[in-house]
Amino acid sequence: MGKMESFSYDNKIVKWFAYATIIWGLVGMLVGVWAAFQLVFPSLNFSTAEVSFGRIRPLHTNAVIFAFVGNGIFMGVYHSLQRLLKARMFSDALSKFHFWGWQAIILAAAITLPLGLTSSHEYAELEWPIDIAIALVWIAFGINMFGTILKRRENHLYVAIWFYIATWVTVTVLHVFNNLSIPYSLLHSIPVLAGVQDALVQWWYGHNAVAFFLTTPYLGLMYYYLPKASNRPIFSYKLSIIHFWALIFIYIWAGPHHLLYTSLPDWAQSLGTVFSIMLIAPSWGGMLNGLLTLRGAWDRVRQDPILKFMVVAVSAYGMSTLEGPLLSIKSINAISHYTDWTVAHVHIGTLGWNGMLTFGILYWLIPRIFNTKLHSMRWANIHFWVATLGILFYAIPLYWAGWTQSMMWKQFEPDGFLTYPNFLETVTQILPMYLLRAIGGTIYLVGAILMSVNLFKTMGKGNCEDNEVTEAPALTPHKKVKGEYWHKWIERRPVQMLMGATVVVLIGGLVEIFPMLIIDDNVPKIASVQPYTPLELEGRDLYIREGCVGCHSQMVRPFRSETERYGDYSKSGEFIYDRPFLWGSKRTGPDLHREGGKYTNSWHYYHMLEPESMSPGSIMPPYPWLIEDDLSTKYTSAKIKVLQSLNTPYPEGYADQAVADLEEQAREVADQLRAEGVEQENLEKKEIVALIAYLQRLGTDITPEPIVEQ
Amino acid sequence: MYKYILETAGNINWMALFSLFTFLTVFILAIVLVFRRSDDHLRHMASLPLDDDHSSPSDQTEKN
Repeated sequence: MGKMESFSYDNKIVKWFAYATIIWGLVGMLVGVWAAFQLVFPSLNFSTAEVSFGRIRPLHTNAVIFAFVGNGIFMGVYHSLQRLLKARMFSDALSKFHFWGWQAIILAAAITLPLGLTSSHEYAELEWPIDIAIALVWIAFGINMFGTILKRRENHLYVAIWFYIATWVTVTVLHVFNNLSIPYSLLHSIPVLAGVQDALVQWWYGHNAVAFFLTTPYLGLMYYYLPKASNRPIFSYKLSIIHFWALIFIYIWAGPHHLLYTSLPDWAQSLGTVFSIMLIAPSWGGMLNGLLTLRGAWDRVRQDPILKFMVVAVSAYGMSTLEGPLLSIKSINAISHYTDWTVAHVHIGTLGWNGMLTFGILYWLIPRIFNTKLHSMRWANIHFWVATLGILFYAIPLYWAGWTQSMMWKQFEPDGFLTYPNFLETVTQILPMYLLRAIGGTIYLVGAILMSVNLFKTMGKGNCEDNEVTEAPALTPHKKVKGEYWHKWIERRPVQMLMGATVVVLIGGLVEIFPMLIIDDNVPKIASVQPYTPLELEGRDLYIREGCVGCHSQMVRPFRSETERYGDYSKSGEFIYDRPFLWGSKRTGPDLHREGGKYTNSWHYYHMLEPESMSPGSIMPPYPWLIEDDLSTKYTSAKIKVLQSLNTPYPEGYADQAVADLEEQAREVADQLRAEGVEQENLEKKEIVALIAYLQRLGTDITPEPIVEQ
Repeated sequence: MYKYILETAGNINWMALFSLFTFLTVFILAIVLVFRRSDDHLRHMASLPLDDDHSSPSDQTEKN
C-alpha cells in the first residue's frame, strides 16, 4: 500500500449540477405539461408563434433530455467518479467551463427552438453553432474525466466508470455524424445526407441518444448509487461485466427499428429488429442485478423513500427495455408506430427510469454534501407516491389512446372501405385520454415541485463542504500476478478500455451505416423525381420552422389501410432531394406525403388561418403569422448553391435566377388563391404562399398507375 | 406470427451473419473471462462504491 495522501473532493461542482438538474427539470416538465394541454386546448398557444406546439415540443424534449437528465448525469458523474477513483477532478477550470458551457447551450436552445431555428433532426434539433459549442463542452468533459482517471488512487475502474466511458465515446461519435451539415447563414444549415440515408443516420443517432444518454450513464449511476443507498454491494459483479459489454455492443445496432415498414432497405430493418430483441437479455440482466442487490433489504425499501424511488426506477427500466424490443417486432410495430403507444413507452423510460432515479439520487446526495439530514422524509415519501401516480395517469391513458387510434386507422367495413376515412374522427375519439395524460404530467410536476422545496430547505439547513478533505493511499504500481487474464488487465487501463469500447460501438455503426452510404442500389432513383422549386424549398423550410414534423409524418407505409387513406406507399427514391428528411415519428395529424393536389390552395389558406373552419373539431393550432408575414428570400440563392454542392441537379448558375423564379411561382399561387375567393393585399409576398406551394408538391412526383378494370 | 417473423428475416444477408458472429464472439469471450476471475477480486471490485467515502454523515434514511 502506498503512503497516505491528503486531498479534497470538489463538491461545489456537484452542488452546481444538482441545482441545474432541479431547476431545468422543473422547466422541462412544465413545458411538457403545457404542450400536453395544448393538444387538448389548442388555444393555449395564445396564437403566438414562439410557443405553438410544433416549436415547444422540441423545447420540451431537449430540456428534459439534455438539461434535466444531462445535468443529472454530470452531477452523478462528478460526485461518484471522484470517490470511485479517490481523486479530485482533474481540473477545476474544466469543471467550471463544462458547467457554464452546458448551461449556456441550454439557454441557447431555449431561445432558438421557440424562434423556429431547428435542424428538424429529432433530439438533435439545435443549429450548427450550438452543435459546435456542444462538441467543445463535451470534449472538455472528456478531458476532465480521463484526466481524473489517469491521476487516480484506485487501481481498478469500477463498472460504473466503464458506463461513463462508453457514454462519452458514443455520444461523441453520434453527435458528429448526425450533425454533418453545411451552413448557409449564421443560424441555418443544410444536412449533408438526404432522404433515406439521412433517416438512417438520424435514427441511428436518435435511438442511441436514448441508449447512450438516457440509459448507459444512468446505469453507471445505478451501479454506484444503488449500492450506496442500500449499503450493500451490487448483487453480481460478474453480471455487471456481461451487462456492460453485451449492452454497448448490441445497442448501437438497433436504430433501424424506428424505421420499420418505411422506405429503408429491408436488410437494415431486419438487423434493427434482430438486435432489438437481443437487447432484452443484457437489459434484464442489468435490471435483475439492480433489484437483487436489495435481496434481504426489502424491509428497508418499505421505509426508505430513496430506495423506493430506485426500485421503481429500475423496474421501469426493465419494463421499457422489454417493451422496446417487442415494439421492434414488425407486426407489433405496424400497430404501434406513429401512435401514442410510442409516446407512452418513452415516458415509462423517462418519467420512470430517468426521473425516479434522479430523484432518488438527489435525495441521497444533497443531505450528504450539505452535511445535514433531509428536511422532510415525509415529503419525500409523499413525492414518491405522487410521482408514481403521475406516471400511471400519464401512461395508461396514452397506451389506451395509441391502441384505440391504431385500431381505428386500420378498421375496414365489410364492403372494403375504411370505417373512419376522416382522420379527425380518430383524433377526437382520444381527446379525453389526452386530457388525462396532461393531468398525469401535472401530477408528476407537482411531485417534482415538492421535491425542490424539500431539497432547497435541506440546503438551507446545512452547509455545503465545497472542498471535502479526505485521504487515500497513493497508487502503487500493480504487480502482475501469474495467470492474470484479460479483463482484470483492462480494468486498470482506462485508455485501452476507451479504445475497446470505441471499437465495440463502432462495429455496429460501420456495418449498418456504411453500406447505406456507399451502395447506390440501396436508394433506387426515380426519373420523374425532381428537385424542389425555390418557392417550394422556402415553403419546406417554413414547414421545418413550425415543427409540422412533430405531428405529421411523410411516410405512407405499404399497408392497405394506409394506401387507402393516403395514396400510394412511399418509395425511397422519392426522398433523394429531401434535406433533411421529414418522415416524422408521430401522427397527431394525418400523413402528408401524398398531400399534393388533395385540396385546393384556398382550403390550405383557410386551414392554416383557422384549422377549425375547414376541419371542425381539429386540434391543429392556427398559424395566422404565416398569412401576415412576408416571405424572406434573403437566403434562397445561398440554399440553392449549397444544394448544388451536394449534387442536387439545379442548372448551372441557377442560384442567380432562383429568386425571380420564386416570385413568378408565388404570383401563380396567389392568382389561384384570388380566383378561389381569397382576398388579401400583397398575397404573393406572404409566407403562406410558399407553404401552400410545398404542400401541393408533396408526393406528386410519381403518379400512381391507374387502376384498370379487367 | 412466427412464420411471419421468419419470412421477414429471410433476406438477411452476410451483414446480419457477420454481426451475429461478432456479437457471439464478444459475448462468449466476456462470459468465459468473467467466470475465470477470482472471488476475492470480484468482492474487491463490488465493494468499491462502499469504501470510497470517509465522511458520510450517519444514516440519512431514518425517519425524521
